[in-house]
Amino acid sequence: MKNQQNRETTFFNKVTSNYKVILVLSALLLISVAVFIPKMTKDTRMDAFLPKDDAVLVFRNQVKETFGLKDPMVIAIVNENKDGIFNKKTLQLVYELGEKIKNIPGIDPDQITSLATENNIVGTDEGILVDLFYEIDELTDEKAKEVKLAINNFELYQGSLVSKDGTTTLIVAEMLDSYDRKQHEVYNNLVELLEEYKSYDEDLYLAGEGAISGYLVKYIDEDAMKTNPFAALIISIILIIGYRTVRGVVLPNLMVLASVGIALGAMAAFGVDFFVITNGLPVVLIAIAVADGIHVLGEYYETVAKYPKFSQKELVVHTMVKMWRPITITSLTTVSGFIAIAASSYMPPMTYFGIFGALGVTVALVYALFMLPSALMLLKPQKSKAFKSNQEIDWFGKRMEILGKVVIKHPKTIVILAIIIVGLGINGASKLIINENRIKSFQSEEPIVAADNIINSKTDGTAYLDIFIETPKNEDIFKIENLQKMEAMQTYIETLPHVKGSTSIVDFLKKMNQSLNENKEEAYKLPETKDLAAQYLLLYSASGDPTDFDNYVDYDYRLANIRFRMETAEYLKEKYVIDKTNEYIAKHFTGASIKATPSGKVTVDTYWINRLGYNHFLGAGIALFVVFIVAALSFRSLVAGALTIIPVLISVLFIYTVMGLMGIWLAVGTSMFAAIAIGVGVDFAVHTVDRLKYLLKEKGLPIQEAYQEFYKSAGRALLFNFLALALGFGVLMTSSVPPLNQFGFLVAIAVMVSFIGSLTLLPAIIYLTNPKFLRVKK
Amino acid sequence: MKNYITIGVLAISLLNVTNSNAQTLPTGQSIADKTYTKDDGISVKRKLVMELKDKRGKTRVRETISLRKYFDEEKRLAIFYLTPSSVKGTAFLTFDYPEASKDDDQWLYLPALRKTRRISAANRGDYFLGTDLTYEDIKLETRISREDYNYKTIGKETIDGNECFIIEGTPKTKAIAKELGYGKVKLWVDSKLWMLRKADSWDVAGNYLKTVVISDIREVQGIWTYHTIEVKNHKTSHETKFIASDIDYETVLGDHYFTKEALINGI
Repeated sequence: MKNQQNRETTFFNKVTSNYKVILVLSALLLISVAVFIPKMTKDTRMDAFLPKDDAVLVFRNQVKETFGLKDPMVIAIVNENKDGIFNKKTLQLVYELGEKIKNIPGIDPDQITSLATENNIVGTDEGILVDLFYEIDELTDEKAKEVKLAINNFELYQGSLVSKDGTTTLIVAEMLDSYDRKQHEVYNNLVELLEEYKSYDEDLYLAGEGAISGYLVKYIDEDAMKTNPFAALIISIILIIGYRTVRGVVLPNLMVLASVGIALGAMAAFGVDFFVITNGLPVVLIAIAVADGIHVLGEYYETVAKYPKFSQKELVVHTMVKMWRPITITSLTTVSGFIAIAASSYMPPMTYFGIFGALGVTVALVYALFMLPSALMLLKPQKSKAFKSNQEIDWFGKRMEILGKVVIKHPKTIVILAIIIVGLGINGASKLIINENRIKSFQSEEPIVAADNIINSKTDGTAYLDIFIETPKNEDIFKIENLQKMEAMQTYIETLPHVKGSTSIVDFLKKMNQSLNENKEEAYKLPETKDLAAQYLLLYSASGDPTDFDNYVDYDYRLANIRFRMETAEYLKEKYVIDKTNEYIAKHFTGASIKATPSGKVTVDTYWINRLGYNHFLGAGIALFVVFIVAALSFRSLVAGALTIIPVLISVLFIYTVMGLMGIWLAVGTSMFAAIAIGVGVDFAVHTVDRLKYLLKEKGLPIQEAYQEFYKSAGRALLFNFLALALGFGVLMTSSVPPLNQFGFLVAIAVMVSFIGSLTLLPAIIYLTNPKFLRVKK
Repeated sequence: MKNYITIGVLAISLLNVTNSNAQTLPTGQSIADKTYTKDDGISVKRKLVMELKDKRGKTRVRETISLRKYFDEEKRLAIFYLTPSSVKGTAFLTFDYPEASKDDDQWLYLPALRKTRRISAANRGDYFLGTDLTYEDIKLETRISREDYNYKTIGKETIDGNECFIIEGTPKTKAIAKELGYGKVKLWVDSKLWMLRKADSWDVAGNYLKTVVISDIREVQGIWTYHTIEVKNHKTSHETKFIASDIDYETVLGDHYFTKEALINGI
């Protein structure tokens, strides 16, 4: 033991002797990594939640490629007047907007769908006429009424292009693939364009997958600009109250800067995208990185008060020798939490959150061990008013001392309370709801939420479920039995809740059949033979464009796509539809003559969100296990390891109860809380066990005295550590991104429970059981 | 002062250049008129294969027998589909009237329906049976319109060793431009055969739209005849190739081939 102490002293002597070199190196490291930050690219697409080589995602991209489907920008034009949108002015607006949108960079000018671009198919006395619903030059109010009639006769476009009540019509604009990471630019341009029409009678709304992704970029940027400085400010205030010195505020902030700067710089340097949840990382690191500084400085000021004669070097070395061990252990446990997220998550945004979170915490530790003592060497010894002398303790210390007395008086009550919380928590966990809805990434008063609501309630909706149909040979799609199967599937899936409509080549063939049979209502059905279906399309091509059905059938007539539209993107609702669809396919699409595979956004989202619950519990389990191992090894006792994880275990169970009571979903943002709460929250227990072990075993103090000592010194440091963490995570609650908001709230509560548990339950159990690893060796 | 003189001299010499060009090159309008003088035979029967290719490279091949006959200025075209089997027996008939004001008549016979359907007056700029050529393009074949454009001859160039005049055409009115779907055309016309060899076109908004290449021009029964037309749509990346073979001008086609009844009976 003596030897080890000597080695530690020698080590920190070396560190403090070379402080200039270390400071220069610290600055160089930070700058050289942080310069990459401006290169960071943002990826707010839902697709980003799956690895690029995931089979489901790859398949979806193939379908998108085959049928030219992309994440669209959807613009709704609403006119609530008597004739709705069917008047000259509104239809003129539809045309004009469509033309202007074509010129926006990033929009595919050939993939704009609106009433002004789509063809009407009508039967005439002896033939069929395929023509635009209206030509802009011939547009009159009279013509607008004809368009209304045409839409009433064209089921396919009711709900998809024009709302059934006739008050709303959509312009759907697809983006070029090259703008995948620049959707916000397209979005901003569109918003600007729509602004020009503000004075019009018609209300214009912008939503759709592309718009949501685009808006998120701007939204999380603004949010980061708000939450990050706020977190730094809160932390600084806590430091000011805790130490009342300049260095006590500046030095921990420098560590925070290093931790966040290097973590984000490394992300950018490795070409990792900034995802929506990455927005929470800086705030989380700010709260965590400051903890090491709090403990080191607390010890430093305590040493100054205790040994006023020490030189700065002696003070620093003494502080570091005492503190390196607990801060290393607590950093290791926090890293474990992040690694558990990285190891358990299949979704890249979370994996990277874990990896770079772990890096940030490691950087904070390294800077605490090297940069912090070196920086102190630049300064003269200084007392903090908060630490007057050995005997005197401040207000905070006194409160903690009182807490210690309560614990010693009522240990059994505390244990019973804890058992009740565990019981409630297990109950809560069993009732957790796994759910996700991307529109909930925004505050409900955001314009995009209103737009999404309007569009989804007025029309068939913007959540797409695509079903990919495959047949063995060219032109097999035309086989009547295949067309009938597609039709039957459309009919069935449209009966499922929240599915509002669908479109496939079947609908067009039915419409052609009707048109060629004097527009008779009963003729709205599939043609009777394969050849007739093929000939209808040839007939259509006599006046339509060669690329008209590209979105629904491939050029060989071997593959087809059925697009279903849902009015909600909520996971649980989508999952029900997907489950039913899969059942239907398993039952009806068994032969080799036709195959159906669900794809599209609804399928992809359901697929990965489905894994969220499993990932969550796996992550929490890994975090608990690793933390247990780290603690057991550090204290060389399994019992110590087990005791250390009790407070975090309770904190996580407590959160399940809170989530259950408040109806908070286990979603993308919230699913990471457990692993983080475990990795961070366990620090209190580590410090508690470490200090009690020192006081009881090494100093051999009687238990009452040891507890008194523990509460007023370590207890005080832990209180500030807790305040920094709770308020730091609490800052996320001011975030306007609800998932981050909830994440911050949950972690803050969990940290509070861990803190209380570590300072009440843990000492109470130790008091009651007097475990062997804390006893003085006889 | 010196500068003004230089500019003056330059301007005069530039004028001279344009003048001399104008002297050596025929006007666009006269070239257009010339293309109508070329002998196309009274009637022709040929095998016409249409290869359509989408942007992913998938192709549809349609084999047809195509008949064409002039009734004075009026042109009648009948197309009988042979493959694919699903459209075998489908037949298309069009009457192209020389008067621009009179809408052309078109019919399609669908054997599966056992009925002939009239295709309502297509715009001249509508796509022809799923190909990248428009009805107007099909009507003109290797001619260039006499009425629709203001032409400017801009130079000469050889294509496959054949001297061509290059002329640029802009539709005379906005309405014509919209009807045709072209805002501008650039045409390469063979200076000896007076046949169109190549055409570039731009849409009404000024985007580069299509390139048409007419090639494999050989004499068949004394009449200069193209055997291949390739069209690429630059906006949609859709392509069409027409391949003509078994061309016969000599067998005179009776008028009865160009009737609705003949569509049903097939070739």
